[in-house]
Amino acid sequence: MSLSDFFTIPFLVNALVGGVLIAILLSVLSLFVFVKKWSFINIGISHAAFGGLAIGFFLGVNPTITGSLFAILVGVLIGYISKKGQVHEDISIGILLSFSMALGVVVMSFSNNYNSDLFAFLFGNILTITQQDIIMILVFSVISLGFLLYNLERIMYCCFDEELAYISKVNTKFFYYSLITLIAIATVLSIKLVGSVLSSAMIILPAAVSSQLFWKYKSIILASIFISVVVVFTGIVVSFQYNLPSGSTIVIIYSLIFFIVILVKRLFIR
Amino acid sequence: MIKVENLWVELNGNLILEDISLEIKKGEIVAIVGPNGGGKTTLIRTILGFIKPTKGRVLIDGKEPKDYIKSGKVGYLPQKSSYERDFPVSALDVVMFGLVEVKISKKEKEKKALEVLRYVGMESFKDKPFGKLSGGQQQRVMIARAIISEPELLILDEPSTGVDVVAQESFYEFIKKLNQEKGITVLMITHDIGAVGSFVHKVVGLNKKLHYFGDFKDFLQKSNVDKLYGSEVKLLIHSPECFTCQYFNVEVKRH
Repeated sequence: MSLSDFFTIPFLVNALVGGVLIAILLSVLSLFVFVKKWSFINIGISHAAFGGLAIGFFLGVNPTITGSLFAILVGVLIGYISKKGQVHEDISIGILLSFSMALGVVVMSFSNNYNSDLFAFLFGNILTITQQDIIMILVFSVISLGFLLYNLERIMYCCFDEELAYISKVNTKFFYYSLITLIAIATVLSIKLVGSVLSSAMIILPAAVSSQLFWKYKSIILASIFISVVVVFTGIVVSFQYNLPSGSTIVIIYSLIFFIVILVKRLFIR
Repeated sequence: MIKVENLWVELNGNLILEDISLEIKKGEIVAIVGPNGGGKTTLIRTILGFIKPTKGRVLIDGKEPKDYIKSGKVGYLPQKSSYERDFPVSALDVVMFGLVEVKISKKEKEKKALEVLRYVGMESFKDKPFGKLSGGQQQRVMIARAIISEPELLILDEPSTGVDVVAQESFYEFIKKLNQEKGITVLMITHDIGAVGSFVHKVVGLNKKLHYFGDFKDFLQKSNVDKLYGSEVKLLIHSPECFTCQYFNVEVKRH
């Protein structure tokens, strides 16, 4: 099948458009996860999203809504606990992550299609992206990207030093919780693409790769977007051609790029 | 400018500050000294509104700290020797952060940032990654960020951390110049009592309680120093006229 043939298959077009849109949003959010060293928080959020999706699925409510609400709740809770410092961040994430996953699996066990549904939530099925999903991703991406880019300096200042940003009159609490909320919703939206287990990779890898190539945050954002779009596009095409799971294919390609960049840098750039 | 009234601060059940009262006037340079764990950082963090007093209150220009900070008239340099080396910002970015909520064009912000970078002698480092600068260079950039919004009050927590002796000398010269030229009130924590002695107007001697608040000269009385540090200590005094220093115990001898 030639590349142009892909654009004649509706569900593949949906997959490509949805995948590329979510990749752009995750690439921008990736910068903040990278500078805040929030990889583990993000893993907590993505697992929480699984619990929320399962509950929505079981109750017959739109899983994206329940998944988002659950992910936001857990994200804000992790943020609140780590800010208050009463329980160590690692402990709170570890407990909430396991709790959400366990809850999700128990709820899913009531479903008739336990195995196939569970597999789709855990590892994604990009071919199930509908036009309705694309509209939702598009609207959310436009609003989120507008917000993030308009407040880019403010958010970076908060990431650099929250107290200094506060002294400079930045509403640090608002940006802290906004960022967690956006990461939570974007994670839920990316679950159809790569699944809840792999969704954290899609937000960790872009800046992890780009920061090896560039050191200025604006360059990191641009490079992350470019690399992510190419990887998602390639991953979907390759997975369709060779009948592979799309989410896993995308994450494997992205991880390989990361290792190659690290290796090349180590060998040739001192 | 800053009024601290009967301030008590308890953190996690430990009493950190006990009944502190002091008043700092506009245009003064005040050094806070005392042993580690004596509550110096807690005092400035309470003045900045990061910590809520258990008892008593802090007023800056007659306002609660949180309200005063909203006026954007505070510059703050926290106690930190180095930032994340891979944080993806340039020295210029860091300085421009200080104007993030100021409603002027990006071009004007950049112009101001370059001005203050020149003022601290760091203009040629503007495009360098901030995380790769030395401790002293980072400190200068951070001070440029703190003063870019033209604050009326500058609060510095151990500004000479990670700065070598020569850089320290010029850093303190710079603080003095800032105070004289711009009339900025400066409140700073330092262990470097000798180095700041030549230009501070007042000293706060703090070890949970306020042991001393007054002129630097009187602070040097042996009884004051001993009371503050709890045992006989030797202070190293830098004379403003030369780089050589001498030990003293009872009184300062200059040469």
